[in-house]
Amino acid sequence: MQVTSSVREPLITGGKTLKDVTHDISRQVEGKPSMAWLLALLVSVGVLVLGGLALVATLWEGIGMWGLNKTIGWAWDITNFVWWVGIGHAGTLISAVLLLFRQKWRMAINRAAEAMTIFAVICAAMFPIIHMGRPWLGAYWALPLPNTFGSLWVNFNSPLLWDVFAISTYFSVSLVFWYIGLIPDFATIRDRATGIRKAIYGALAFGWDGAAKTWSRYESVALILAGLATPLVLSVHTIVSFDFATSVIPGWHTTIFPPYFVAGAIFSGFAMVLTLMIITRKVFKLEDYITIVHIELMNIVIIITGSIVGIAYITEFFIAWYSGVAAEQYAFVNRAFGPYWWAYWSMMTCNVISPQLFWIKKIRTSIVATFILSIVVNIGMWFERFVIIVTSLHRDFLPSSWAMFSPTWSDIGVYLFTFGLFFTLFLLFAKFFPVINMAEVKSIVKSSSEKVNK
Amino acid sequence: MERDKNFVLGVYEDEDVLLEAVSKVRESGVKIHEVYSPFPVHGLDEALGYKRSKLPIAAFLFGLLGTILALTMQFYMMKFDWPMIIGGKDHAAFPDFIPVTFELTVLLAAFGMVGVFMISSNLKPWGQPRIFDLRITDDKHVMAIDLATNASLGEGKIAEVLKSSGATEVNKKSFE
Amino acid sequence: MAHSTSNYNLDQKFDFTASLKKSIMTVLVIGAVILAFGIITAMLGGGHDHANESGGHEFHWYQRLFANLWINNVYFTGIAIIGVFFFALQYAAQAGWSTAILRIPLSFGNWLPFAAGLMIVTFFVANHDLFHWTHSYIFDKDSPEYDKLIDGKGAFFYWPMENGSFPIFYILRMVLFFGFWVFFFNKLKSLAFEEDIQGGTSYWRKLRTWSALFIIFFAVSSSISAWDWVMSIDTHWFSTMFGWYVFASWFVAGLSAITLVVVFLKEKGYLEMVNQNHIHDLGKFVFAFSIFWTYIWFSQFLLIYYANIPEESVYFVERLQSDVYSPFIFVNLVLNFFLPFLVLMTRDAKRHAIFLKVVCSIIILGHWFDFFLMVQPGTLGHNGGFGLMEIGMLLVYGAAFTLVALGALAKKPLIAKNHPMLEESYHHHI
Repeated sequence: MQVTSSVREPLITGGKTLKDVTHDISRQVEGKPSMAWLLALLVSVGVLVLGGLALVATLWEGIGMWGLNKTIGWAWDITNFVWWVGIGHAGTLISAVLLLFRQKWRMAINRAAEAMTIFAVICAAMFPIIHMGRPWLGAYWALPLPNTFGSLWVNFNSPLLWDVFAISTYFSVSLVFWYIGLIPDFATIRDRATGIRKAIYGALAFGWDGAAKTWSRYESVALILAGLATPLVLSVHTIVSFDFATSVIPGWHTTIFPPYFVAGAIFSGFAMVLTLMIITRKVFKLEDYITIVHIELMNIVIIITGSIVGIAYITEFFIAWYSGVAAEQYAFVNRAFGPYWWAYWSMMTCNVISPQLFWIKKIRTSIVATFILSIVVNIGMWFERFVIIVTSLHRDFLPSSWAMFSPTWSDIGVYLFTFGLFFTLFLLFAKFFPVINMAEVKSIVKSSSEKVNK
Repeated sequence: MERDKNFVLGVYEDEDVLLEAVSKVRESGVKIHEVYSPFPVHGLDEALGYKRSKLPIAAFLFGLLGTILALTMQFYMMKFDWPMIIGGKDHAAFPDFIPVTFELTVLLAAFGMVGVFMISSNLKPWGQPRIFDLRITDDKHVMAIDLATNASLGEGKIAEVLKSSGATEVNKKSFE
Repeated sequence: MAHSTSNYNLDQKFDFTASLKKSIMTVLVIGAVILAFGIITAMLGGGHDHANESGGHEFHWYQRLFANLWINNVYFTGIAIIGVFFFALQYAAQAGWSTAILRIPLSFGNWLPFAAGLMIVTFFVANHDLFHWTHSYIFDKDSPEYDKLIDGKGAFFYWPMENGSFPIFYILRMVLFFGFWVFFFNKLKSLAFEEDIQGGTSYWRKLRTWSALFIIFFAVSSSISAWDWVMSIDTHWFSTMFGWYVFASWFVAGLSAITLVVVFLKEKGYLEMVNQNHIHDLGKFVFAFSIFWTYIWFSQFLLIYYANIPEESVYFVERLQSDVYSPFIFVNLVLNFFLPFLVLMTRDAKRHAIFLKVVCSIIILGHWFDFFLMVQPGTLGHNGGFGLMEIGMLLVYGAAFTLVALGALAKKPLIAKNHPMLEESYHHHI
């Protein structure tokens, strides 16, 4: 028997019954697509096609199309890659870590957050693949396959190769985790449907029967997957940070990178979840399930992770001074006061200062403020990666090689393409899949919903 | 009477009532075929006397396999098959092999365990489950009692036990 | 309702019996005797020759005593403050399951005033033998031993005074951190005990606010104290990860200590409300954060090993290529990662007292070795080691800490009977 303390705010409002849960969430899967949805899809596909042109041009002409130069060999591509991967951390964090910590509020948001994770990782993976120049040969460079040179294997000492393993493992395990969670809900839709839809959702439901035995195994699987996904999610951004930190570039080589990147990833991921959920709850009328309490708790996670990131910034600065290494000191002074000062201060404002506004209860329980700040945080996190990558590279060891970076239309177009891809996928998901985990929410209806006098 | 064909179904609305009903029904000597629920009911497996799932063991073994495979692969390729000095380190730079080893461990553990789960629970895209009551994926819990395994009791007695345990409805269901 | 917390004696107190006190005192005395033997052996030469290799300074037996004091000062301060941190974390995260055991971590905080005194006194007595940067000659530009690098970071210790004079900034931080930690601890403690008497949910809300404030302060102060007290021993060396590394080490050790005391009280017949599910959750915490510590340890090691910049890798070279310390690197990893990981992997191990007792004891010893490896190489060089003095000092500190924590625990009720989540904790079921 679950007991809930009276000091806890209800997680489900409006006196919902189990039947209401089924109805409210299945409704948008079964109904005709709304005009708003169609319009949004149209815009997303439009961006996808437009950005796709830039992508095709880049593949056709080669990555010389990008604004890279001899000094700055990595810029927008890897900035975008790290940004998307970071966003792709919230889903697994919400479902795995919050499951282990038994935070019940995760239940209403984990489905959409995981979907977002999967799509964000797809977008992220685009960049290394495109950067291969000839991606159709990429498998030889990225996977340990026997090849025409006898057996010149991939380099297992390279963090870039670790990335290949980390991202693909993360993607596939997240996908499985997400799908396992979807199965019971597909069965719900199957049992409400008729005709062709019944056949489709029946196949998606994998013959789910809801037996206690199956549920027992299902819970066991979910718990172990959560246990596996927790270190996995840490490892992914850790390994992404290794791409930089294993080098000897001032500004890149710093030991705090692994946990600091992870905190930053959670930070940006939660921000993106908020952006998406605030729209979704409104459009699909799910305010009783994704309540202001959920939004407030997510904002608190944003304060915590934002502050951790802030502490890491200060630590880096301090240790650069403390180390006495001239190159390291220069790298940090140059970040703040060099030619890219605007990027640095945008990052500081968006990531460290703006989330502190959430200490004020009025702001963290305001939907409009949360929506705006969630976008601000994601802009800040993009700048963080840009600052780390471009400002550390643009001052080469040889002053004669010092350079600046400016993006070309191809850089921008490929980035737009991933936006189109992300939103297209998310919209399709939101329409055809249940956006809230019905089974899990039902399990807390009794203990965590607003008590209604009957 | 043939087994696994004719059932008496007790329908429950509340998970706590269901949990107590399971114990009551079992105490009165009725053998429960299975309970179907729209969501995981905490403690139901224990109440039904199910053994703990052995899936963790599968996960561990697959994970171990992943560790061994990853280490063997990396040492073979980097140390024996085509040794190269990279970054001034030993051919077998063991710390460098840990990230990939970790990833493959997790990958195999997760996929291995999920595979075993799918097979043991008979989950497949073309799976055709027996639906006792359509509402078990919506808002009702259903306790299914096989008439054949409880032949000594008779239908009326079973229905009575179910009713007194808190079932809101008692139905019959037969499968071909 | 048949099952509710009202079935239990909520005013239960821990009875710190004379016999229990006596056995802890016995450990303390045994430790003191071993320590004395260690000191005597060291005074008589202890097998170490008067090596003049490192910096030309003669090695004295008391340096090893000071290094030992420092290891235990830092280590037990950590366990004490983690007790308070864990307590605050439960409020900040609105955790319900842990309500029944909250008084145990809280009692650890009582060590803080003692820790503060010991730390400050040790610093004043032993500064030159612990911290290279306390020597004024390295800041003297005319001296042949002038050290430009340390002079560059001197302000961190000496500001606003001149480098090499009196480390006022450093001491001020030490006093401030301990001062605020004790202040927050007292605040949380008094609110928690007032709640026992007054009841109502307002204390819970106040505790949440104060917990959040403490956590903010601790987030900053834990990192800086790690730089101050530990990283600055190897004065040239630096690592941005270090603050979080020390925190991770403290956290696992603290969690293990909490678990150990809970299991011990449970076996003595206290904490009736605590069942296998609570024990299981504590076991999970210990398991998870053992892995977390390993993750931090490995990340720091890998990055330094991989880039192989001499200024940084010297830290690991000093330890891995030393006859004295290299075995302990592996002892550290085995005790703090492999054993807890393998033993606590199964559900049953996390639910049974015997496994947890073994693993938590191993971890508490293991993280002592972690701090041993952080402190001794930089202070004693090849004159260090694990011997009688180390064993004796660890026993003395461990026993003293236990006396203080259990003594404080015995003074107040064991259960937070008016905590609004007590019922949740009672019904906690995994």
